[in-house]
Parts: sequence; C-alpha cells; structure tokens
Amino acid sequence: MSDEIKIVGLLCNWCCYGGADTAGTARMQYPHNIRIIRVMCSGRINPSMIFKAFEEGADGVFVGGCHIGDCHYDAGNYKWSRRAKIVQDIIEEFGIEKERFRFEWISASEGEKFQKTMEEFHTTLSKLGPLELE
Amino acid sequence: MSYILAKSKNEDILKAGECGGAVTSIFKYLLDEGIVDGVLALSPHDDVYDGIPTFVTNSEDLINTAGSYHCAPTMIGDLIQKYFADKKVAVAVKPCDIRSIDELIKRHKINPDNIYTVGLNCGGTVSPVSGRKMIDLFYEASPDDVISEEIDKGQFIIELADGSEEAVKIHDLEKEGYGRRNNCQRCDVKIPRKANIACGNWGAEDGWTFIEINDDKGQKLIDGAKKAGILETKSPNEAAIEGRAKVEKIMIKMSKKNQEATYPLVNEVEEWNRCIGCYACRDVCPICWCYKNCELSKSYFKDDIIASPMPIAFQGVRLSHMSFSCVDCGQCDDVCPMDIPVSLVFDKLQKKYQNRTGYLAGVSDDIKPPLYSPDKVEL
Repeated sequence: MSDEIKIVGLLCNWCCYGGADTAGTARMQYPHNIRIIRVMCSGRINPSMIFKAFEEGADGVFVGGCHIGDCHYDAGNYKWSRRAKIVQDIIEEFGIEKERFRFEWISASEGEKFQKTMEEFHTTLSKLGPLELE
Repeated sequence: MSYILAKSKNEDILKAGECGGAVTSIFKYLLDEGIVDGVLALSPHDDVYDGIPTFVTNSEDLINTAGSYHCAPTMIGDLIQKYFADKKVAVAVKPCDIRSIDELIKRHKINPDNIYTVGLNCGGTVSPVSGRKMIDLFYEASPDDVISEEIDKGQFIIELADGSEEAVKIHDLEKEGYGRRNNCQRCDVKIPRKANIACGNWGAEDGWTFIEINDDKGQKLIDGAKKAGILETKSPNEAAIEGRAKVEKIMIKMSKKNQEATYPLVNEVEEWNRCIGCYACRDVCPICWCYKNCELSKSYFKDDIIASPMPIAFQGVRLSHMSFSCVDCGQCDDVCPMDIPVSLVFDKLQKKYQNRTGYLAGVSDDIKPPLYSPDKVEL
C-alpha cells in the first residue's frame, strides 16, 4: 500500500534539487514515491501550486529551498517561508491534515538530510494513508 | 489626533442630517469650494431598505444623501477603484470601507491624494431582507411604514410617518437570528481611524456630531469648513470623550465574545461542499481587484466548467490570495446563492494571520501586505 503514496516535491534549483542530486550520486536510498519538480527558487512557488497538487491526487506535498540567508536570489526563501505558513493555515480549513504538507531548508551538500527527510515524510504519509478529498 | 463636537450651520442640512449634520456639511463645503469632483454617498431609493451609491456633483443634491442607512450595506472601496480612480472624490466610509480602501491603496489601486474620507462610526449594518422580516415579526409597525431607522444605545429604533418611534433591543433580535449581519456582529473595528476624520453620535450631546480628527488632512477639512461658515464647532468635555471610549470598548468586547463563539464552530468542509462555483464572492470582493486576470479563470483551474469546483482549488486559492487582507465586509455572504458563510472563514484566517504576524487588514500601518513584502524576515 505504502508504495502507492504519491508525493509531489517542489525543489529549488540551487539547493534542494542539488541535495537530491547529491543523495542520488552517493547512492543513498530514499522512497521513490516522490515526483520531483524543479523550480528556480522556492520564492517562485504559489500556495495555489500546492493546492493544485492536492487536487490532482497528491497525498503529500514537499517543498525544499535554500537555507535562510543562502537564497540565490537574495530573499526568495523568506517570501516562501511567509507563504508556507499561510498554506499550513489554509489546508486545515479543507480537511487536509497539516502533516501532509512539509517544507524544509536543504542545501546542495546535504544529501543525507534530503534522504532522511524523505524517509520521515514517507513514514508520516503511510500512517495517514491516501488523501481523500470530498 | 484631537476631538471636537460639530454642528451644521445650514438649516436644511441640520434638519435632514443625523445628529448635527456635520458630515453632509463637510461634503457641501468640499463641493462648493471645488476641492473634489464629486461626493460618493448613499441615497435612498424605494424605501429605507434600499440605499444606492450615488455620485453627487451638485451640492444641492447632497440633501438627499443625508441620514443613515443601516439596512443598505454597501461596499465603497471597490466602487472608487473601479469607477473613480482618476477623479477627486469625497466619500463617507464605514470602518470596513476605509479598511478596504487602505488595502487597495497598499496595492496601488487607489491614490490616497485623490480621496477625502469622512469616517462614520459603525455599530453594524442590517441586511435589507432580514431587516424587513424582523420589523414584521418584532415590531407592531409594518415594514413598509418605516420612514427612518437608527441604531442607538443597543437598540434598533424605527420611526414612522406620524413621528412615533418603536425600539427593540438588538441583543433580543440577534438571539432569534435577526439583527445585524453576522460579520458585523463579530467586527471589532468600530471607529474608522484610518479615515481623515471619524464622525458619530457616541458621547455627543443631542444635535451635535462627535468628530475624531485622525490626520492633518482631516484637520484642514474641519478648519476649511469652519472658515466657509458652514460648520460650527466646540470642544467636547472629558465626560463626552470617556463616554465615547466606553461605547467603543463595550462593542469591541461583545464582538470578541462573538468571535470566540463562532470561529471554532464553523465546519468548513461541509460548507465548502455546497459551492457551485458561481464566482460571485470573487467578483464582489473589494480586495480581489485583479479579478479580470484571475488565476481561477486560468485553464489549469478550469478544466471542467460544468462540475462544481474542488473547494481547495477554488476557495483555497482565493484564501491564499487575499485572506490575510480580508476586511470582513461580509459582501461575499450577501451574494452567495448557497448561503455559505464565506466571510466567516476568511475573517477567521485573517485573525489567525494577525495573531501570528500582528497585521490587521486595513488597520495596520505596514507599507505593503506582508505577503508581498521583500523584507528579509520570517513571520
């Protein structure tokens, strides 16, 4: 069952996507349920993208960006961090557990952190089961 | 910031206006001096339940707009943005009106130099439909005989053609599900302090208007009207100022109580599932100014136009666009054909946002809504 869990991952080009790459080249095993979409910056992500992912059948949405202070575009991840909290507030109003949405700061060298985060997120989602939107 | 009591020196306005007619007099001064192109105010149409926003350019027509219309809840913010963006306008605003204007100023849709805002203290408005019904049920008079209404000292007072008055406590009306609109019952901004001046009868002597001057522009407005000989003023005594503060405090306390009672009870999932996707809430929303280029109309959110929208992909998107700037004007509740308490959820989220960031929509002095700000802070 847990293999049917669908995770949409929106990863920033400069850090988290690099982190996923590092995990891959180092042959670290992480759940293959994640479908990675590369974006240029976490500041480019709208809350509506997260909602669209849930609407289309994602069981969980993960967003990865650069550590605060490390943004390639100076302040993109600050903007995302403010939006992310609004996403958390809003999904609760639609009967989506807040654990189904997760965001994390992962740098390009932190392959291990990416692997761990994915494993954790997969475990959480497996416990929650597939998302059923009415 | 200072307080004054004001009264019109114009006989006709004094008679037609509510408590002193200061607001109408200030409008007359602005029009006569040519300071503004027109005045945007409410004028009655068929009866007291029907107020129509009117753009008055001749000061002789102003007399038709004098008085208060609690049963005609309108929203001024988007009217200015849509139709009067390039005109100099004087406008009478309730707290939610000025809050929406403030949010639109932050979005560069209204030029603050072009508008003169005369604030009206507001204890709440009544929907015309439930207003008629409750007069039918709780009052001896027939709803059609009412020639004027007023909210004072916790009572909803109606006046009939023969001059007689009838009053019922608002608390009793609201217990039965009538009275003020739901969003007004939980609104905790009662004095429009972002307007140039804030007028009302709280704490005022009979026949005078109590005015709080909020900024330099407001001070100039009062000085000018006095100089033109249309307004007389005097300073209020300590008791009047205290009395007014007390009224405000009690109202806010009642609103907070109402918020605590209603926020946890709403079952969003159940409410949203009734949505038929008519977009009326978006079209009427004063904050949703970019409805012409709305993300909800993009093909990726509109793949099946016949089915009802998925709540998360409709209200969810709207919430993420503007819930932090919701001024709780309740227009969306009024237009919803499925009676979804839209504003309740939006307002609940704005309060959640306020608790976290300290940003109260249309009241806080931030230059930009926090979500648009480039500042390097985590909230």
